Amino acid sequence: MVHPDVESYPYLLKAQGLTKRFGSLTANQSIQLEVKPGSIHAILGENGAGKSTLMKMLYGVYEPDEGEIWMDGETVSLHPPTRARAKGIGMVFQDFRVIPAMTVLDNIALSVEKGWRIRRKSLRNRIVEVSSKYGLAVDPDAFVWQLDLGQRQRLEIVKVLLAPGTRIIIFDEPTSVLVPQEVESFLQMLDLLRRDGYGILLITHKINEVLACADQVTVLRSGRVSHQMSREEGLDGDALISAMLGDKALKPVLKPAPNSSEVRPEVLRVENGTIRGDHGEEVLADFQLSMRHGEIVGVAGISGSGQRELAEALFGLRKLASGTLTVHGKPLRGGDVRAFMEAGVSFVSEDPIKESVIPGFTILEHMVLDGIPVRNKGVGIDWRHIRSELENSEEAKSLALADAGRRADQLSGGNVQRMVLSRALIRKPDILIISYPSRGLDIGTTLTIQQRLIELAERGTAILLFSEDLDELFKLSDKLVVLAGKRLLGPYLPSETDKAQIGARMLKGESA
Amino acid sequence: MKQPTFVPVGVSGGIGPFRSNWKPLFKQLLVWLSPFVVFGVFLLFYHVNPLRLYGSMVQSTFGDLYGLGEVLLKATPFILTGLAAALPAKAGLVNVGGEGQLAIGALFATGSAVFLLERFPAWLGIPIMLLAGALGGALWGMLIAALKVKGRLNETITSVLLNYVAGYTVAFFVHGILKDPESFNWPYSPEIAWTLRLPIFDGTRLHVGFIIAIVLAIVVWYVLAKTRLGFRIRVLGSNRHAAERAGMNVNRTYFWVLVAAGALAGIAGMIEISGIEGRLRPTTGVNYGYFGFLAAMLAWNHPLKLLGTSFLLGMISVAGNTLEIGSGLPASSATILMGLVLLFILGGRRRAKR
Amino acid sequence: MITADILTGAIRSGTSVMLASQGELLSERAGVINLGTEGSVLAGALGAFATTVWTGSPWLGALAGGVCGLLLSAIHAFLVISRGANQLATGLTIMFLGIGATSFLGRDFVSEQIVGFNPVAIPVLSDIPFLGDILFNHDPLTYLSVLLVPCLWYVLFRTRIGVILRSAGEREEVLFASGINPKLVRYLAVLAGGFLAGVGGAQLSLAFTHSWVENMAQGRGVVAVALVIFASWLPSRAMLGAYLFGAAQALQLTVQQQGLGISPFFLFMVPYVLTLVALLIVERRKHSNTPEALSRVLAGEGGG
Repeated sequence: MVHPDVESYPYLLKAQGLTKRFGSLTANQSIQLEVKPGSIHAILGENGAGKSTLMKMLYGVYEPDEGEIWMDGETVSLHPPTRARAKGIGMVFQDFRVIPAMTVLDNIALSVEKGWRIRRKSLRNRIVEVSSKYGLAVDPDAFVWQLDLGQRQRLEIVKVLLAPGTRIIIFDEPTSVLVPQEVESFLQMLDLLRRDGYGILLITHKINEVLACADQVTVLRSGRVSHQMSREEGLDGDALISAMLGDKALKPVLKPAPNSSEVRPEVLRVENGTIRGDHGEEVLADFQLSMRHGEIVGVAGISGSGQRELAEALFGLRKLASGTLTVHGKPLRGGDVRAFMEAGVSFVSEDPIKESVIPGFTILEHMVLDGIPVRNKGVGIDWRHIRSELENSEEAKSLALADAGRRADQLSGGNVQRMVLSRALIRKPDILIISYPSRGLDIGTTLTIQQRLIELAERGTAILLFSEDLDELFKLSDKLVVLAGKRLLGPYLPSETDKAQIGARMLKGESA
Repeated sequence: MKQPTFVPVGVSGGIGPFRSNWKPLFKQLLVWLSPFVVFGVFLLFYHVNPLRLYGSMVQSTFGDLYGLGEVLLKATPFILTGLAAALPAKAGLVNVGGEGQLAIGALFATGSAVFLLERFPAWLGIPIMLLAGALGGALWGMLIAALKVKGRLNETITSVLLNYVAGYTVAFFVHGILKDPESFNWPYSPEIAWTLRLPIFDGTRLHVGFIIAIVLAIVVWYVLAKTRLGFRIRVLGSNRHAAERAGMNVNRTYFWVLVAAGALAGIAGMIEISGIEGRLRPTTGVNYGYFGFLAAMLAWNHPLKLLGTSFLLGMISVAGNTLEIGSGLPASSATILMGLVLLFILGGRRRAKR
Repeated sequence: MITADILTGAIRSGTSVMLASQGELLSERAGVINLGTEGSVLAGALGAFATTVWTGSPWLGALAGGVCGLLLSAIHAFLVISRGANQLATGLTIMFLGIGATSFLGRDFVSEQIVGFNPVAIPVLSDIPFLGDILFNHDPLTYLSVLLVPCLWYVLFRTRIGVILRSAGEREEVLFASGINPKLVRYLAVLAGGFLAGVGGAQLSLAFTHSWVENMAQGRGVVAVALVIFASWLPSRAMLGAYLFGAAQALQLTVQQQGLGISPFFLFMVPYVLTLVALLIVERRKHSNTPEALSRVLAGEGGG
């Protein structure tokens, strides 16, 4: 399985002085690192620190502008990825490179088999063999769309392991899709791989994972290596944090203690709700949900457990198949978004770039879509009035919104998130439904947004917060609900439960 | 001739007045010239001198008033069916139903003229006939719209299929109850009353339908560029998810945009009858819907640029007739030239951003 | 008797649509919708007819027809795949160019006569009462087209080639990550689609009508595109849909011959209306297996 030449060199791959620039931006500057056989090398860094650029150079997606990569005692070029793969480098992507409409077997055949044939029987045997060896249970005949994210990840890993000659495996933020219990078995699998001599590159921003398994750590900050250490020298969590964040002063998010004696009025209520998905299948059955004035309700669940459908139903984008939905005591029917907006509901969707950004339109024009109430000028729109209103708005200022004249499709992810959030906040919503507000953002922006949400709740907005980050949910929520097995479980009080319990419910539903 | 300039990003919301873009001018020139070169080579095979042909094209267009009138006459229905494609395109729809909508519009207009408006004075009869044409086109557009909104069927495919149905519907009527009793078995309708014919400019065959088309193009441009309705349509066309999340009723917008497009093409049908032919034939306006679609594509679905591209297609159409008379090549050769122009434009475009 | 006529006619007149739809199915499975199929059918019909007139061999004609269809689809492939042009608009333009070019180039062939393909009765089988005539007395291209369907199914769903082709229509980045160039795959699929549409056209002019008439495809290529959607991208269902279309055509001929007093123009409409109704019915289905790349095109994003 592992290349015989490994014995003759102390490393599988060695990178020296890797530099990559995009225009005036230097994404990676003189990166140095080694991947040794039978060891785990973690690349730690914040969003935007340059991890993904580095990883793409090592997987051959980008050609480095400077520097060299050594394998088997000679410099190699890994670009394009086919060449990297031929050299034995495999990659487990964060956004899995799988095709939902095809079976697991077909997906594996695509990348593993050669020629025009698929030797179904032998391939199936090999899949079963590898998956039992490393504890990667996955059904070869299932369609990928039927799998949850954990299973899809296992499929990706099997694919990499079955590819001939694999000796280095790059994992890109692998635990971001896993619940706490799954993380544990994932780390066990990494250990098995290490024992079999694979060289592993683990890209992550989670320090406790690094502490749990890494043999070596390279910390990236602003595209440079800010720190490197190995387990023999001793790994130190605090040193890693400061290497990761630098001297950035981070104000911790403060949440005032809830005043439990006060009974707040209910603003939104769903009774016996049932929601169907895009293909008419039941996604959530017979659930109850209640949100009160100024309350943050956190929604936990394995990705694809009905989060999107629930959010859409509460904003009127999707009809309830049965049950009732009332806002401020008034029943609302799905399908009429405007009625929901007029009742004070705002929605920040999970993929703002795809679902909210209109290419070629400026921030100002986006604001009119549903933010600032349109002021009419004859049959047209009074743009000057809207601009001054935007520039004077508290919400836009506190989120440091970019200039109103900039084109939205040229903004960074953080700026798009800010724009979408300001737009939702400018309407001063009574109820805010917000999906994954911190996904893909650096820690500074994340903290700003979290603080804003808390302030918003203090001023009386009820917030339904979808997040895949249990830390975030526990930090912000007044109560938690869990989506699992077509049911909505809870509410639970964060003070009376813990992450392991919530994680177990995410995995196994009520029985846990 | 006013050559349209190009805004770089394909379907972006930009719909301001003409914006010039000098940098890729050479490339644009190449894109526009190449089809004429290719077609020229093709002509050489048939012993036609392309330079002479192109020369006579320009000559017959700008040489005298009559020639110019002919080109504008040809361009008129292209403007209207072009609008029928451009307006939905701004909402993100690919409507090719102009062909069928024009036919049904012509059918309604003729029907109303023959059965109802015979004795009406011009000031009343012509507007009613125009409305009848618009209604016919709108109904046909509504069919596509209903299939889109209620049946969730892609409008491109349904509109092409319905074009065939519309053609046979017209054939059914002109072979049946709309047939001229004095026609000796020829399938055409009786001639409409002279009071219902559109006034004509002296010295040409050009009629006021041309003015109607230009006014409608300006109206469509104004609505799209300057009004809230237009803003919403453009938002929908650029990102339907965003439009939904902004509380817009997407299906209702799709529906009425397609109906309005149908009405525009229906008006083209009425103008064909009232302005030129005077009676309905199975061949009335055949292919005009497709030409209009092409003109809209060439104009990036910009209603004002569409005036220019329709004019160009009008020139090519007239040249097709010249070809047929002058060198015995069939009029379909003009179709080839049009197809080539469009292919080069489509291929020469910058890749739209995802 | 009439039933047998209609059923025989369904196959005879549906074969061209069937071939075109199988080709379009390949193309759409790879993520490219090609309304230019109409043009390819016409180009195939004319190319096959002309070649048969010149050489006397319908087999060479059928091959030439396929090549003509392929050449026209190559324009579509280039514009859509390499230049990123809007698929629906480009397809329409090519349909249009095909109609123009074939009526131009074909005007000398309108009055030509050919032998072309004639029905070949399969011994023994064609003697089966009722079914024998319906199923086993057809032209060679029809037999071949029927054999094509299971072959296509096997290739699409049982070989790695099929997996690669379907991946191109689902998520090209996955294919790319597997070291295969998705553009190349799409090119090949569109070209194969154009070839089959061309052979379909050849069946039309060489076996069905034995003549060349301007714009003789009469929307068969467009119907083929619609049928692929109706068939939810499965070869066997596309075959069924095509024969349904063929039956509607045959019905119209039969009713006309019987002189039942129904206006022929209503009957002409039937196949198109039927196609629309069929589309409406399948659209009600819950689980859709529209290739992802294609659903983006159909939802109006249009890009390559």
